[in-house]
Amino acid sequence: MSEDERYRTSTQYRLWSYSPDSLLALRSTTNRIAAERVREAVRRLREARALSSADTSEVENGQSTSAIPEGEVDCLTVDEELKLVAFYCRQTIQLGDHLKVPTEVKATAIQYIKRFYITNSLMTYHPADILKTALFFATKTENHYFRLTKFADAIGKTKPEDVLASEFLLTQGLRFTFDVRHPFRALEGAVMELQALSKGDIPPFHGAGAVIEARPHNMERRVKNAHGKAREYLKSSALLTDAYFHFTPSQIMMAALMIADKELTEWYIKCKFSAAAGGLQQKVLATLEKCATMLKEVDTSSEPSTTERKELKALAKKLNKCRNPEKMDLVGLQRAKREGEESVDEKIVKKRKLEREQSAKEGEDLFGPAIKK
Amino acid sequence: MMRNGASKAIDNNPSDDICPVCKSNRYLNPSLQFLINPECYHKMCSTCVDRIFTSGPASCPVPYCGKTLRKKGFHKAFFGDLKVEREVDIRKRVGAVFNRRQDEFETLLDWNNYLEEVEGLIFDLVEGTKEEKLKAEERLKAYRESNMGDIEENRRAGLEQIEMEKQREKAEKEAVRQRRLAALREEEEEKLDVARSKRDVLERLANTDEDANKITQQAQKIILKKSSARRTLAESVESNGRARDSGLTIRGLKKKEAPIAEKPYDPFGGVDLTPSRYVLQEDYDNEWLSNAKSDTRHMAGGYSLQEYYARTLFEAFSGLGVFIEDEVAGRSLPAAPASIGTAAAAEASAAKVNIEYKMELDDVF
Repeated sequence: MSEDERYRTSTQYRLWSYSPDSLLALRSTTNRIAAERVREAVRRLREARALSSADTSEVENGQSTSAIPEGEVDCLTVDEELKLVAFYCRQTIQLGDHLKVPTEVKATAIQYIKRFYITNSLMTYHPADILKTALFFATKTENHYFRLTKFADAIGKTKPEDVLASEFLLTQGLRFTFDVRHPFRALEGAVMELQALSKGDIPPFHGAGAVIEARPHNMERRVKNAHGKAREYLKSSALLTDAYFHFTPSQIMMAALMIADKELTEWYIKCKFSAAAGGLQQKVLATLEKCATMLKEVDTSSEPSTTERKELKALAKKLNKCRNPEKMDLVGLQRAKREGEESVDEKIVKKRKLEREQSAKEGEDLFGPAIKK
Repeated sequence: MMRNGASKAIDNNPSDDICPVCKSNRYLNPSLQFLINPECYHKMCSTCVDRIFTSGPASCPVPYCGKTLRKKGFHKAFFGDLKVEREVDIRKRVGAVFNRRQDEFETLLDWNNYLEEVEGLIFDLVEGTKEEKLKAEERLKAYRESNMGDIEENRRAGLEQIEMEKQREKAEKEAVRQRRLAALREEEEEKLDVARSKRDVLERLANTDEDANKITQQAQKIILKKSSARRTLAESVESNGRARDSGLTIRGLKKKEAPIAEKPYDPFGGVDLTPSRYVLQEDYDNEWLSNAKSDTRHMAGGYSLQEYYARTLFEAFSGLGVFIEDEVAGRSLPAAPASIGTAAAAEASAAKVNIEYKMELDDVF
């Protein structure tokens, strides 16, 4: 079983790998359905209001409708949604820094958010709610224990219920797969081997003797520099793009190394894939190139520029206007759901008790109780 | 079943008292003794046997029997009922040939089938018509000839078992005898001890002017101590003896075949996980790990650097040759199995479209 085959068994490959086209198609479907639902929900709400206000005075009627936007709802487009998601991903990093959680936790949380919003729309579930739950989940999956009450306190203006309200929702959105494969550990492995290669500790890889002779000068220092740079890229750019959906962790890591030191990385890849092996070397290099351009595109500065900020503010306002009114209060919905279940339980208990009493009564009958069918 | 009917059934059956050949009566000859020959099971008195068969083989004097009998074949009947006698003889004869043991069979069913077959053969021999008897005899003979080696082996095994049984019994008896002797000896010693200490006490009472009570108490204590010491000694000896005994009886009880050497257990079921893109080294230089390498606090918990090396390097190259864009493109099409890595992946990808749309419509709240 080769390394690649082992990667193909992961859920990240099986469920969370897309080509750019299919990802876009999926997102637009999600957006379309969510928009329809928002309109539907708003219409329902208006009808309900109209009914309830029919018997109240005209003055009150005018006040209550003001909470709901008039006319046709202006929904977010796919691009707008993506921009907002990117913004909230940055927010997640900041929140993570504030809570002093390790990089892996932040990275996992961001992937959760990205995965969740492929099949769910911002208009249905607000990212500010989902973000907290995602970060809380990430502390668990990455083995960084954080007590829930402390977590909520540290975020501020948050109650534990707020974090837990969307718990199952997020789990379902993640298709019950919590495993996220990151390129961080892979980078350590590659750097470790590169360092060993630079010192000549490792015999040349089989079939790559000629290439290994042509290794770059001053390799030890270059490896060290590349390590730091690549790590920076992995910590920010790789998370904020869709790289995780289109490339494997190993490829993302190599691409980051490539940005940091192109000559070194190309030499390394050539060591690993002999040129004769059916163009695999070229294909890998091309894929890494593609990934590298994707990583370079994104702006990693944590503070958005003024124009961006203005745009984001407008988007946030727009989002507030087109949110699905039925899904706003997640905590309330959660509570209602739980209580609903409980009341059903009570009903069953009562019914059973009645049946028991009845059968006891019939048991005293001369010919015993009726035969059960 | 009547055993030794010759002496017991005298009164109930008059035919037991008169020899069918010479008609001599037990009343006239109290030492009358009947003999039979397993050829035909006709009984006759010992005088008749002497008279007719001493000069050599002759035919049976009973009318219409006419079997040729020899004097050597005559013996006293063990059972009063000659039918039973005959059946037992037949059983002995068949049992000597069909002497398989249960552990030779693979299943209980096979063993039971075998037993039933043997029983059928015996029934044919005992109760069957002439033809059946002949047939059964032939089968018996054929079986004996074809399985000579096995029969001999089983016979020997049976003898050995009996021998072993005898030995064990003997050893047990011997052990019991030894125990009894030891107990006797112990009793004797104890008596002697008590007598000696009493004498000591008396002597001390006579010779010294210590407190009489104290001296007697001390003596009592000494006796108790000695007896308890003796008991523990005896126990240890006994346990030693038992251990040796059990070793004797167990040895050779079961002849086991040498067990087939099992292959070492392979937890991965033959999956080869050797990396194809790198060679894992024993040790790597890593400034972040230099602390951990020398610090016992890291290593005490069983932290293995090799595990870390293996994992990081595996992750560095796992999926480097997986081109998602190419591979995922064929996913929604069921007729593209080549691009799907595992069975699970195929399953997941086949069901994928449905899942997504279902999720879209299925709400938690």
